[in-house]
Amino acid sequence: MSTHSTPPRPRRARRLAPAVALLSVLWGMSVEAAPAATQPTAPTQPAAAAPAVARAAAPAPTPARLGPVYLVGGELHVGDGTVVQDAVIAMDRGVFTVVGGPEARNKLPAGATLVDARGRTITPGLFAADTQLGLIEIDLESSTRDDGKATDHPVRAAHEAATALNAESSLIPVQVVDGVTTAAVAPTGGLISGQVALIDLVHGDHRGIVASPRVATAAHLGHAHAGSRAATLAKLREVLSDARSFPARRAAYDRAQSRELAAHPLDLEALQPALRQQAVFTLTADRASDILAALDLAAEFRLRLTIVGGAEAWKVADELARAKVPVILQPTQNLPASFDSMGARLDNAALLHRAGAPVVVAVLGGVHNLRNLTQEAGIAVANGLPWEAALTAVTLGPARAYGVERTHGSVAVGKVANLVVWTGDPFEFSSAPVQVYVRGAAVPGVTRQTLLRDRYRDLQQFNRKNK
Amino acid sequence: MTKRRPVLLLLGLSAALACGKRGPAPPPGPPSAAAEQPAGPASEPEETGPRKQTLLRGGAVMTAAGQIYTRADVLVDGSKIAAVGVDLPVPAGATVVDLAGKTVTPGIIDTHSHIGVYAAPGLVGHSDGNESTAPNTAGVRAGDAYFPQDPQIDRARAGGITTMQVLPGSANLFGGRSVTVRLVPGARSVTDARFPGAPDGLKMACGENPKRVYGNKSGPSTRMGNVAGYRDAFQKAVEYQRTWAKYRKDLSEWTAKKDEPAEDSDDGKDGKKGKKREEPTPPARDFAMETLSGVLRGEILVHNHCYRADEMSGMLELAATYGFTIRSFHHATEAYKIADRLAAAGTSASVWADWWGFKAESFDGIRENAALLTQAGARAIIHSDSPVGIQRLNQEAAKAMHAGRRAGLTVTDDQALRWITANPAWALGIAEKTGTLEPGKLADLVVWSGDPFSVYTVAEQVFIAGELVYARGSLEPRTDFELGYKPGDISTEPGATR
Repeated sequence: MSTHSTPPRPRRARRLAPAVALLSVLWGMSVEAAPAATQPTAPTQPAAAAPAVARAAAPAPTPARLGPVYLVGGELHVGDGTVVQDAVIAMDRGVFTVVGGPEARNKLPAGATLVDARGRTITPGLFAADTQLGLIEIDLESSTRDDGKATDHPVRAAHEAATALNAESSLIPVQVVDGVTTAAVAPTGGLISGQVALIDLVHGDHRGIVASPRVATAAHLGHAHAGSRAATLAKLREVLSDARSFPARRAAYDRAQSRELAAHPLDLEALQPALRQQAVFTLTADRASDILAALDLAAEFRLRLTIVGGAEAWKVADELARAKVPVILQPTQNLPASFDSMGARLDNAALLHRAGAPVVVAVLGGVHNLRNLTQEAGIAVANGLPWEAALTAVTLGPARAYGVERTHGSVAVGKVANLVVWTGDPFEFSSAPVQVYVRGAAVPGVTRQTLLRDRYRDLQQFNRKNK
Repeated sequence: MTKRRPVLLLLGLSAALACGKRGPAPPPGPPSAAAEQPAGPASEPEETGPRKQTLLRGGAVMTAAGQIYTRADVLVDGSKIAAVGVDLPVPAGATVVDLAGKTVTPGIIDTHSHIGVYAAPGLVGHSDGNESTAPNTAGVRAGDAYFPQDPQIDRARAGGITTMQVLPGSANLFGGRSVTVRLVPGARSVTDARFPGAPDGLKMACGENPKRVYGNKSGPSTRMGNVAGYRDAFQKAVEYQRTWAKYRKDLSEWTAKKDEPAEDSDDGKDGKKGKKREEPTPPARDFAMETLSGVLRGEILVHNHCYRADEMSGMLELAATYGFTIRSFHHATEAYKIADRLAAAGTSASVWADWWGFKAESFDGIRENAALLTQAGARAIIHSDSPVGIQRLNQEAAKAMHAGRRAGLTVTDDQALRWITANPAWALGIAEKTGTLEPGKLADLVVWSGDPFSVYTVAEQVFIAGELVYARGSLEPRTDFELGYKPGDISTEPGATR
């Protein structure tokens, strides 16, 4: 396996390009790509502070739903903290082509059919961080699970979530209709679990669902992985150290002139993007001391670190802020569920934000209800996180935490057109999406659950049948 | 009503086929089931002397009994609610609490918790929820394992929970007896927390869990085996009752005639004069059988972990056969498929707002479950089964309510509030005492910062039997377990950003 400074585009993207153009011509759709320079409101590109990371390939739009969409009106929450009134948004070929206020109306083609979004709240599609969506259908049925590699070896860096993804998972539409459009799908198990895939939630599109197959390497700290957290840390250092020197020793290894390495060569290869800061390195850690150990490890190996879990992150918020290390946390996890999370509290997100540390809100440890991201964000707000920061924590925040903010996470020209139009405040139970767009295509509001609901809405029919 | 006739017929038929509509008449058994629990207070202690009166004034009031006031008062007199209404007069000496902008509801009640038997942290030493040593452990009692120092109790109380049923887990066909407790701070034993006068429950489990736990042991390993296990146990309970009934009969006959000479004694012929009749020996007591006998007598309420519509239907038939009622199906992710049958049987369903898919039998869960049950006239309950979920059952109810409304179903705020108050109170057999804001009921209530169905709302004050047990920011009790871990407890320099 070779390493890539840029992950390859999904094959479908290249093959489809001519077809896309052809369809556009056939349907008489005018395509207007608004130059980014004329963007009226848009500090949406993140600051250049972020090191160069693997860029997610602009994925192929789903062919059957092609065609530009023009949204006019509504209050757009861009995802980066800015708000645009009377928004004008155009999506075409899977990306945003126009984003602006009322003055951007003249960028839309004359006679275009406009979607009226007046009175609506518009946000980027929600981004589910650290999930196993597409890898697990039913948790307790191992035959439906592809999240973890079955091996005793703790290092599985070459294990790729992308290669196991099921685009036809019934879980995907259930999340999409409630506004989740994007996910970072992480493998599980072991000390280093493997490669995290970025997906856009295009149900059924096996070729296209993966936006980028290796945005991060997922690994873990703490007691469980080696019997002692000291052993865990030592093992990680040993593996990373071998991985760092491996490219230079590769030839010697192939000639069998190398000492035994800490992991399989494929695993050492798979760690190269992380060591070159071309991919993120995620570490699961809850106890404050483990989070500090993660920061030290990241400094030693120059890793672009993201913390997952972070129950006690608030205790070391200043250090996290200084290191600009994002924490992916679940606001409702306030229990002293283990001695690693004795300090768990509801205002963890608010305390981190106040200290200046990047916060990502996630639904951790379950795949079926990523749709409750909105509730988690709302609860973070109820416990002190400012509203716009909470929206960022479920949109641009996770995109940054996985180094894919150039393509995902906010509503900006050139980014993947994942968008939700809501009836009201997205975090409130009384609100719901009016329409969800994934890669610029309107997603139908049908799921396995709505089909079940409608089948059993009238129970009389069953009694009639049984007579 | 005509809508439900086919179902009634169906259930009636299976019952008639077995042994008559009510099943075998329950004979007098051993000492009553209730007497088997450690003696908790049967009712609220009598209040003596002048009672403390508090007028909660000017908040929105949702009674869960049909009224929603945008502005009203609640008068608390001692442990009870004395009045609910607009502009109540202030009794002399009453404390007045201004609640403008707040909302008052009944205390939230959870029918399904393992707090106290699976205490946090999840240590090996804290794992007391499943006596998974045999598929029938109807004789064990969750109350005997309830750890009142579980820090999860404090988190639940802060979420507005005033009462919860603590159940054994679902590893067994018969997991054991539940205990209904109040979330009072400072309890040193389960007796201090026990809800006065609440009946015991029996935890039963359908489906995958018993199969999984016993499949490679003694069995059951199939759903067939599960049901055979229920039938076997209830049949034995019937026979157990019969044995005791016979003993009671023999005993009363013996008592009446014990001073008379035995009829068959050969009086005088061989000098053995006046031989006494032998006192009947009582049968061996079996505590599992006594729990099941309590179910058959209607003294112990059945709480049945069961997901699938077909299995729940089967359990309704089995219960009809043996003449008892299932009080509540728990989890019941497919309850919406048999909402009509549940309504006809008078069995409630304790459901989640939206959990689904974590196991095969939960794959068909939908968010409209509770709303569809309510529409069909069945009693819906939102339960937690989670130390996280229990902290915001109001939000779970809100999710289920809005999902129902979006699907075109009618669910009022009062109905959704009943899902977490009046209906669970009914399922736990304490509806006469709590669950609504009505005069005469216990003053178990929550003061919310706003609309309890908003994600931004928090519980600000919680009262149990008229006593303030939680006040956000000023009265936040902590169990023994957490002492020493909070910044400032020991070190004043926690290294924290505060």
